[in-house]
Order: sequence, then C-alpha cells, then structure tokens
Amino acid sequence: MVQSKKQSYLFLAFCLVPTFILFAVFTLYPLVNGLYYSLFEWSGASSVGEFVGFDNYKRLFSDEIIPRTILHDYFLVVAKVIGIMILSTFFAVALTQMRIKEAPFYRIIFFFPNIMSVVVIGILWTFIYNPNLGLVNSGLEFIGLEEWTKPWLGSETWALPSLVLPSVWAGIGLFMLMLMGGISNISKSYYEAAEIDGATEWQQFWKVTLPLIWPQIKISILYIIITTLNGSFIIVQVMTRGGPNNSTHVMGSYLYEQAFVKYNFGYGATIGVMILILSLITVVIMQFMMRREKVEY
Amino acid sequence: MKQRRWLSRSVVRIPLVLWALAVLYPIIWMILGAFKSNAEIYANPWGLPEVFNFQNFADAWSNYNIDISVFNSLIVTGLGALLTLAMAIPTSYALERIRFRGNRLLFTIYISAMMIPMVLGWIPLFFLLMQLNLLDNIFGLAIVYAVSQLPFSIFVLTSFMATIPKSLEEAAAIDGMSPYGILWKIITPLSTTGIITVTIMNMIQFWNEYFMALIFLQSEENYTLALAIDYISNETQYTNAWGTLFASLVIAIVPVIVLYAIFQRRIVKGMTEGAIKG
Repeated sequence: MVQSKKQSYLFLAFCLVPTFILFAVFTLYPLVNGLYYSLFEWSGASSVGEFVGFDNYKRLFSDEIIPRTILHDYFLVVAKVIGIMILSTFFAVALTQMRIKEAPFYRIIFFFPNIMSVVVIGILWTFIYNPNLGLVNSGLEFIGLEEWTKPWLGSETWALPSLVLPSVWAGIGLFMLMLMGGISNISKSYYEAAEIDGATEWQQFWKVTLPLIWPQIKISILYIIITTLNGSFIIVQVMTRGGPNNSTHVMGSYLYEQAFVKYNFGYGATIGVMILILSLITVVIMQFMMRREKVEY
Repeated sequence: MKQRRWLSRSVVRIPLVLWALAVLYPIIWMILGAFKSNAEIYANPWGLPEVFNFQNFADAWSNYNIDISVFNSLIVTGLGALLTLAMAIPTSYALERIRFRGNRLLFTIYISAMMIPMVLGWIPLFFLLMQLNLLDNIFGLAIVYAVSQLPFSIFVLTSFMATIPKSLEEAAAIDGMSPYGILWKIITPLSTTGIITVTIMNMIQFWNEYFMALIFLQSEENYTLALAIDYISNETQYTNAWGTLFASLVIAIVPVIVLYAIFQRRIVKGMTEGAIKG
C-alpha cells in the first residue's frame, strides 16, 4: 500500500466516525439516558425534573397494574411460542418432506403476513373480531354455535387471548422458512438409513428431523421471545389500547400510556428499565434451558 | 407403501389449504370491501361487491388526507433508506476489510443493539428530538428510522462484502486508486445485491412502521400512512365508514404486495438472515 499512515487513519475515520456519532446520539445516548430518567419525577413541562432517587421503583412495585402487564406479556410469549412453533414446524416438514408439488405456492402465501404492517394486521383483525359484522361471530353463527359468539375484543376475559391469533397469523411464515432452511440441510442419507431400519415417518420426524433442526428451533423460540417482549405492545396499541379495563395492557403499552398519554416520563422510563431487565433475564434463562448437546450422526 | 404415501400427503394438504385460506381470505376480503358501499358492507359483509366503485378511494384520498400521508410516508421511506445506506456502507466496509484496534468491539456494539428493547430509549429520544427541533418533523423521523435499521444493515452488508475477493481492491490500489475510490467505484457496485436486499427490507420496515411515528409525530399534516390509517380506524367506530377504512388499508398494502411480487426471494432471504443473527 502506497498511502501514508495519516491518510489511512483519515479514511478509517471517514468510514466510521459520522455513522458512529449518529448511532451514539440516536441509540446509545437515549438508552443510557433512559436509565437516568427513571430516577426523576418529570412531567415534561419543566426543563428539568425533580430527582426522586428510587421512588419510581417503589411505585413500580406497589402499582397493581404492573404484575398484570408482566403476566399478559408472558401469556403472549408462551401462547405465541406454542402456536407458532407447532404450526410452523408442521408446515415446514410438510412442505419439504412430503413432495407436494404446489409447495412454493404455500411458501409464498404463508410468508406474506410477515411483511404486512402491524397497523394493517391489527385493524383487519379488529374487524374480523367485530361483534356484528366480523368473520368470527358470523362463522360461529353459520355453524350453529350462536351461544359462543361474543364481543371478543370488548370482553375482559377474551380480549387478551384474541390477540394471540393475529400474532400467530402474522408470524408463522418467517419461522416456517427458517425451519425449512434447517431441514433442507439434512442429508437424505439419514432418512434412507432410517427407512431401511424400518422407522415410520413419525419416528423419522422425532429421531432425525427434530434433533437436527434443534439449532433453528432454538433461534426461532428466542426470536419469538425477544420480539414479543420488545414489540407486543404495537398490536395491543392498535387493537385494544390496553383495554377493556387494563385487561390487555402489556409492559410496553403501559409505558406508552404512562409516558406519552399521562406525561409521567420518569415513571415511564422506570417501566422501560423493567422491560430491559426482564427481557435480558428471560433470554439468558431460555438460552440456558435450551442448551443441548449438538447432535451429529 | 406408495398408496400410504399418497394418503398421508392428502391428509397433510388439508391444514395447508386451510391455512392458505386463513391468510388469503381476510386480505382478499379487505380488498373487496374497499370497493363496496357502506350499505353493502352492512348487508353482506363477506360477499362480492355488486359493482366495483372507487368512491371509497376518492373519499380516503381527499376527505381523510391520505394524499398528504402517502406523500409523507414516501419521503420518510425514501430518505430513511438512503440515509441508512450512507451510514452503513462505509462502516460495513471498514468493519469487514480494515484491521484496527476495537474492530470486533465496534461490530459487537452495533449487532447487540438489535437485541436491546428500544422502548426505553424512546422517552429520552422524544426530548432529544424536541431540543433539536426535529419533533413532529418527518425529516427527524427519517433520521430516527435510519439509525434504527443501522445494526441490521451493517450485519447484512458486512456478511455480503466478505464474499468480494480481496484481489480486486489490491489491484486497484496498485493502480493508484485511493481508498475512497475503491469504496465508491469497486466495493459499492460489487455489493449491489446486498445493498438492494437491505434497502428493500428497510423500505418495507419504514413504510409499515407505526409506533415511533405515533410518538414522534403529532400534527395531522405530518402523519405517515400508518398513523393516518389508525386515525381513520378510530373515527370508524363512530362514523362506521368501513369502506373508506378498507380503501386506506389497501393503499397501504399495495406497495408492499408489489415489492413482494418482484423481490420475493430477496425479502425472504433478508428476513430469515436478519432473524438468525439473534
């Protein structure tokens, strides 16, 4: 290289510094500052808040809605992990192993909701759940189960479970494709060997496919957990705004309400710290639980 | 044996067909609803429209300011995507090709930002934008969007640039090309595939984004499409103008359908790779 040392440093700085400054200002600084804000009582009206130490955290522990929001978040995590993993594993196996000739059609269709806006998905499903016009109630009436019809999103018992279906509907495609990628890397010889040994297709699934795509399953589960804890509030905000009577509030939507509707910015930041800590703990625990010897045949 | 295979394949098809219907039916029905009059939606919410009329689109476009929000969304999407590239390409090149102290650390910082819940940062960001006079400003939103997609873009671009043979850069350097020239005239054109993938993913992301827009935009003339639709949806509870709502949903979804139809493979690849990094 003919360039001088100074010139190459200059080039390096040109590549890295402007980007890092923007990243630091708009991502790192707000995150760190969020921790700091949680120690203040701040309505946003004055330029500085009042330092209150850990008062916001005390309030967090005595707030009766907080345990409910945590519970709702983990309910969505568990329901989504179960729903998405069962369906996407089934579809992935069906589309790769069963030699279905129209498989590309299903692959393309199933993936599409993944790139739809959460707003569109939320509004569409709000209408599907509409008590008078919606597909769910009309469908139930059609098959003669009129006593099962209810105002799904308006019911304190049913609103939260009703949010699971749109999330699963919107999520399946991506995880199906990730698992399909794993399955297509499995050598055909394993299945041939299993067949010679007389293993049924069901046994092949449990003894060959599942252990060999475990890495993809693990990544999918972690990804569902992270995206749910960090993003479930978006569908909540669009479909129910946390109601009726706080029965669908998750941590993020409660943060939004406290900070940007009620202007308790300090307390909102405290909820944000809680979200950060809980999602980190959950990811670490899940990684530990799903630790499993890498399978090689 | 063969017969059993055929049988099990048919049994497997049932859930596949059902799920395909579950995905397609609401979408098709939403598109049909956009062409129905309100009376028709009430009389027969799940049937075909009698005549295709575009009145709902006209209403949404002019009475509900969808025209302004489409324009805002286009600006935010285009500007955000360009800005992301301007930030991500040089940094990706340096992280991938130049050895310097702290290279691994910097890469790790960028990548781990993908896993951190950004909700916590949104409160300080709100005040930061306020101080910079970028609150309730679509250009401010474009900057925030661009930075938010930076980690993902760097992740995809570095792995893409790693596949470009080093000999090309070396040859260009021997010919006396400056590192800036190498980056601009050799690396950037050779990374086109990666750049397109990243840009499509980012554009879909920005076009669809809702929550940051909800927090950082306030006045109606700055609403992006996602906010405008949400606004119409809330109005619909009182006005019951379902047709207008569906028309605006269709306006929001058509560009995504078009991109998906053209770039299906790239989008799928971009999404699965983006997820696997986790």
